Amino acid sequence: VVEGLALLDLGVSPYSGAIFHETPLIIYLFHFLIEYAELVFMITDVLTAVALYLAIQDFNKVVFKKQKLLIELDKYAPDVAELIQTPMEMHYIPLKVALFYLLNPYTVMSCVAKSTCAINNSVMAFFILATIKGSAFLSAVFLALATYQSLYPLTLFAPALLYLLQRQFIPIKLKSKSFWLYTMQYASLYLCSLVVIICLSFFLLNSWDFIPSVYGFILSVPDLTPNIGLFWYFFAEMFEHFSLFFVCVFQINVFFYTIPLAIKLKEHPVFFMFVQLAIISIFKSYPTVGDVALYMAFLPVWSHLYRFLRNIFILSCVLIFCSFLFPVLWHLWIYAGSANSNFYYAITLTFNIGQILLISDYFYAFLRREYYLTHGLHLTRQDGTEAMLVLK
Amino acid sequence: FQDQAEQFFRSGHTNNWAVLVCTSRFWFNYRHVANTLSVYRSVKRLGIPDSHIVLMLADDMACNPRNPKPATVFSHKNMELNVYGDDVEVDYRSYEVTVENFLRVLTGRIPPSTPRSKRLLSDDRSNILIYMTGHGGNGFLKFQDSEEITNVELADAFEQMWQKRRYNELLFIIDTCQGASMYERFYSPNIMALASSQVGEDSLSHQPDLGIGVHLMDRYTFYVLEFLEEIHPASQTNMNDLFQVCPKSLCVSTPGHRTDLFQRDPGSVLITDFFGSVRKVEITTEALALDRHVAGVESKFPEEELATEPLKYAEQLPVAQIIHQKPKQKDWHPPGGFILGLWALIIMVFFKTYGIKHMKHVF
Repeated sequence: VVEGLALLDLGVSPYSGAIFHETPLIIYLFHFLIEYAELVFMITDVLTAVALYLAIQDFNKVVFKKQKLLIELDKYAPDVAELIQTPMEMHYIPLKVALFYLLNPYTVMSCVAKSTCAINNSVMAFFILATIKGSAFLSAVFLALATYQSLYPLTLFAPALLYLLQRQFIPIKLKSKSFWLYTMQYASLYLCSLVVIICLSFFLLNSWDFIPSVYGFILSVPDLTPNIGLFWYFFAEMFEHFSLFFVCVFQINVFFYTIPLAIKLKEHPVFFMFVQLAIISIFKSYPTVGDVALYMAFLPVWSHLYRFLRNIFILSCVLIFCSFLFPVLWHLWIYAGSANSNFYYAITLTFNIGQILLISDYFYAFLRREYYLTHGLHLTRQDGTEAMLVLK
Repeated sequence: FQDQAEQFFRSGHTNNWAVLVCTSRFWFNYRHVANTLSVYRSVKRLGIPDSHIVLMLADDMACNPRNPKPATVFSHKNMELNVYGDDVEVDYRSYEVTVENFLRVLTGRIPPSTPRSKRLLSDDRSNILIYMTGHGGNGFLKFQDSEEITNVELADAFEQMWQKRRYNELLFIIDTCQGASMYERFYSPNIMALASSQVGEDSLSHQPDLGIGVHLMDRYTFYVLEFLEEIHPASQTNMNDLFQVCPKSLCVSTPGHRTDLFQRDPGSVLITDFFGSVRKVEITTEALALDRHVAGVESKFPEEELATEPLKYAEQLPVAQIIHQKPKQKDWHPPGGFILGLWALIIMVFFKTYGIKHMKHVF
């Protein structure tokens, strides 16, 4: 950002160098606030935490109401009393979420590093707050802002839509007219705000060259500086004539899970949002630990799934170890020269596998709990022996 | 006139140099060190002194902890020939054998602090033998398991040597896999090149020694060494015989050579022109008389000094001007329309969410 502002002061477009890949609104924001950069990032983190706190408070109310409704409608099996969430245990969850975000070492690291990921996180937190409060307009505006910043929150359109539909009590059937009407409304709100924001950015610099620099950069991954993601090593090793194909494959991988997850998790859009956030953080082209911090902040919301998580010990060990090994192997590779990029790549692989296993573990636990809620805790097979749920 | 014509058929060199390079490290590359030391031994035996040999060995085999016979490097099974001895002078040892150092030795671009023994102080009447061995491939030679020299770089180094008149004639011998690729790119005159294998072929090693546990020599250099053992400083064997050393039946790979850049016919080039240090001696029976009045050369410079104005340091950069310059104020400001549009949008969103009735609180 400093480089971009310096280039602007020299009278050149900030996108003419290969370093600046942020959107024009960031230029505008930091034009005035560059001297107070630390303060800005601290305030953004606090804002994110506050937004998450309010969002989860509201969400708890929604969950509790829905639970009550389902109990009264007798949708639950008789022996699942221990699985029902009580207000007592849910009382501290918003505080825990806010603290998880603020005290997470990843958040602290990205704040100290003054990474613009903090701003992305803040916008996404406000988006989540707006969605859970039920305001379609604000939610569309914030989603447009988040998509404008980094392209991937586009996939959060689906869970937000599902949540708002649920809130308006519109059933999700493909033939229902009100479903399509609402979808069209929301989609048009979102697209209009996106278009307005992009046109506004055009007026900042009177040029469109922010589009290839920002979105072209995210999609075509030209810069292969090592990070905690998976793209850099693949594309450093790849031959030129395959790189286009694999860029397409990798980018589709991010967007691909939306539809199957939407079909499976249409009753539980907030969990869908959590899983989608995690998928974005893992598979985006330039991930940072700030993205990881955002979805990890949601883990207390599903602390009631603890008894169904199968691999949580191994996963937490893997994630902690990898976090410690990242700087060690980086130092060994770049400074000491006694390791090579394969060491660092192995740790990125392990870290991402750990994250993926975390998400799939939570997914499994969530679905299992839902199954138990409707079918009872003690499942029996046809011949009477105890049955076990398997995620296929 | 006849002298001049005869001169054309004889080499016009007055001194000989040798640059012998072994580029591999680790114990299992024992044979490369043995190769280089065998050539060193032959070259020294035929008369080139240590001051004219630049020996570069990438690793120390004689004092390697895995050597069951310390302080020796054998070149033949049954330990017949110890090429190490106690008069081996290694000029570039261990990690000093790098591509950069090798090229600096060849081109002469050496820092002033380099000792004489590490320099190739050749001139335009020097015949230089360059022998390289190690692991190579199509177009490159690997140095120290971490870097490579390409045939293009080598050809350019030789061209630099030619342009700086650092050699009269050059014989380049390489014993690596696909060695012929290393001399493909030469374009400077007076270079003759030999290689142990063609492109696409591997150079094979000779015999392992079960006592030491590694292969002792490469085939090509082994047969070259055998050939050279029969050469003495007065022998008239020529290069055509060297080209016949190690046919395919013995060497498995096909040795190659390149003579198109060389001006003389290889049949008239003696082995000792490159491997030995045979001086050309001309005996004359005439007597030369030296002038008696050689002392007292007059001073050519006049005694009086010219009156010049005192010299002072010319100002290259107007420093005083620069440091007192104010920095140029060229700040960028976002255009007014943008700010207006942005804040209008923000206010619209705010009021859409919270309703118009709050406007009266704002105003």
